[in-house]
Formats: sequence, C-alpha cells, structure tokens
Amino acid sequence: MHTLLRLAFSLVLIVLLNGCAKKTMVALVPDPDGKTGRITVANQAGSTAIESPYNVAIISDKNKQSPPVHMGKEAIESIFSDALSIQPKRPIHFILYFEKDIVLTSDSIKLMTDILTAIKEQGATDISVVGHADTVGSKELNFTLSKNRADSIRDWLVEKGINLSYINTTSHGKENPLIKTEDNVNEPRNRRVEVVIR
Amino acid sequence: MKIFCIFIVSAIFFGSYSICSANQAHVGIVKSAVGEVMVLRNNLAIKAETNAKLLEGDLIQTGPNGKVGLIFEDDAVISMGPNTKIVIEKFMFQPAEKKMSFIARIIQGTASFLSGQLVKLAPDLVRIETPYATVGMRGTHVLIKVD
Repeated sequence: MHTLLRLAFSLVLIVLLNGCAKKTMVALVPDPDGKTGRITVANQAGSTAIESPYNVAIISDKNKQSPPVHMGKEAIESIFSDALSIQPKRPIHFILYFEKDIVLTSDSIKLMTDILTAIKEQGATDISVVGHADTVGSKELNFTLSKNRADSIRDWLVEKGINLSYINTTSHGKENPLIKTEDNVNEPRNRRVEVVIR
Repeated sequence: MKIFCIFIVSAIFFGSYSICSANQAHVGIVKSAVGEVMVLRNNLAIKAETNAKLLEGDLIQTGPNGKVGLIFEDDAVISMGPNTKIVIEKFMFQPAEKKMSFIARIIQGTASFLSGQLVKLAPDLVRIETPYATVGMRGTHVLIKVD
C-alpha cells in the first residue's frame, strides 16, 4: 500500500513537472527588409506589447504574464533554423496600365521584362493576373474589357515560356478600381492589370 | 438496420458534401515542402505537395523531418519547422466588401510568421492563437515556439 501511494505520488509529480515545462515562446524579429514591427501577447492576465527586435515573451500559463526578455539573435535563429530555412520570399506585385482596350502604355511595356525576371528569380509557380477597367461604359462591356486585358498579359507570358498552369486570370470589370470615381469617368490608373508573382 | 442505412446514406451525403466544399476559394498555397508534410481537411490527410492550394480550416502538419513554407493571398508568409501543427482558423481577404480576417492557431512546434496586407488594412482582425496567449500583429515578423 505504501509503495502504491509512493508510486501515485511520483506519477502526479511527473505530470506536474511536464505541465510546467510546457511553454509558448513568442519572439519579435526584424522582417527581411530590416524593419521591426510591434506585437501584443495577450491572455487572461492582460496584454504585453513587444516593440524591440529579439525581445521574447515566454508564457507557461494562460493566467500569467511576464515582461519580455532580450535574447540574442543567434540563439533565436538557432531555435527557428528549420522554419527560417524554408521561409518563402514575399510575393512581388506589378501594375500594368493601358492606353485603351488592350494597348499597354509605353512605361508598362518596359515593365514586362521585369515581370519575367521576377518570375524566374522567385521560382514562381503561382501567378495571378487580374484585369480591371475604368468606369466608362456598361458593367458587361467593362467585364469583357478587363478579361481581354488579363488574357492578353497571360498569352504574352505563355509566349515567353511561362507554364500556362502557373497562371490564374481573373477579371474584376469596373468593380475594383484603384482610384474610386463616379460612374463613366475616364481614369487611366483604373485601366490596368495587376500581376502577383508567388 | 434502418438506422444503420440512414447512417450510411448520411455519411455518403456528408462525405460528398465535404469534397464539394473543396471548390471554396483557396486562401494560400504550399510554396515549398521538405520531408513529411500533411494537410488535414475534412478528416482526411492529404500529402502537401509544392503548389497545393490551402483552404480555410486546413490543419497543416509536419513530421519529425518535415518543414514547409506557405504563401497566403494577402502576401503573408508562414513557414514551419519539424513536428509542427498549425490550423488556418479563418482567412478572408476581400477589402472591397470589407471582409477581412486572418486567424491562425499554432498547436505545437516552431513557426515563422511574416505579415501581409491584412495587417496593414485590418490589424485588429489578424492574430495568432497559441495555447497560453493570443498574439496580435502590428507587423511584421514573429517567431513562435510551442512545446
């Protein structure tokens, strides 16, 4: 009986110790551009802000908070080395503008080679091509127009050797303007195709 | 027997329903995967291949030698080390309709979160839930480890 009690006691102790060992670590680090944002860590005990790079909050109880501590860059990066080693680059965005119909502006024509370079450098396999129109004309007409714009960019990319299956085209007609205008307004900045390279 | 039949029929019905719901808009993609990486969707485990589409509600899980990089529609990036589990609880990115939200939950493991456009547009609607605390994002790069 005595041994059983002792066994039960050790079991409880093991469970308790394991429970205590479980913790959540939250570290704020600079992003790839070198900027550091701000985060809050909140639970039943309140909310703590972390604003300096390589500051870390360690929480082991949802009813407790403790002030953030500074931890070295190397120490943090070694804990997260696997996750960081496979971190994808952020997507790259381009906007191409149109004179009219599917005729690109001369500045946008120059951008086309940058798009191809970005696709190759990013190793992109997911490319969104989204067509837009300004508000001149009917909803139907502008939907077709924005679709023709997106299709023309897609066709050009495919002609340059980009795999068709990597490209998704969508058309927003006049519904998603970059610059909000009244109906029937000629706005060059809304006649566009947005390209997102992932 | 009758009840059993109803059970079978409803299982088939709900089963096909959940397959149909795979048509919902994707929220992100698997950009790169190494080792064992699975996506749990509608109680089914699917091997996560590069370029696979992710849906709201997916649980992404890496094995002891697995790691994976994910890109979301708002340009947010999540990468996961080995033995890690993350659920995409909520993802909405339709600024024109004012529908915006990104809630991810890390159950265990190590992960890197790089915020995207949602943090700029609707910072109060972006958060990462962990077992003992909720992390609010005001940009930009957060590393989280859950034992």
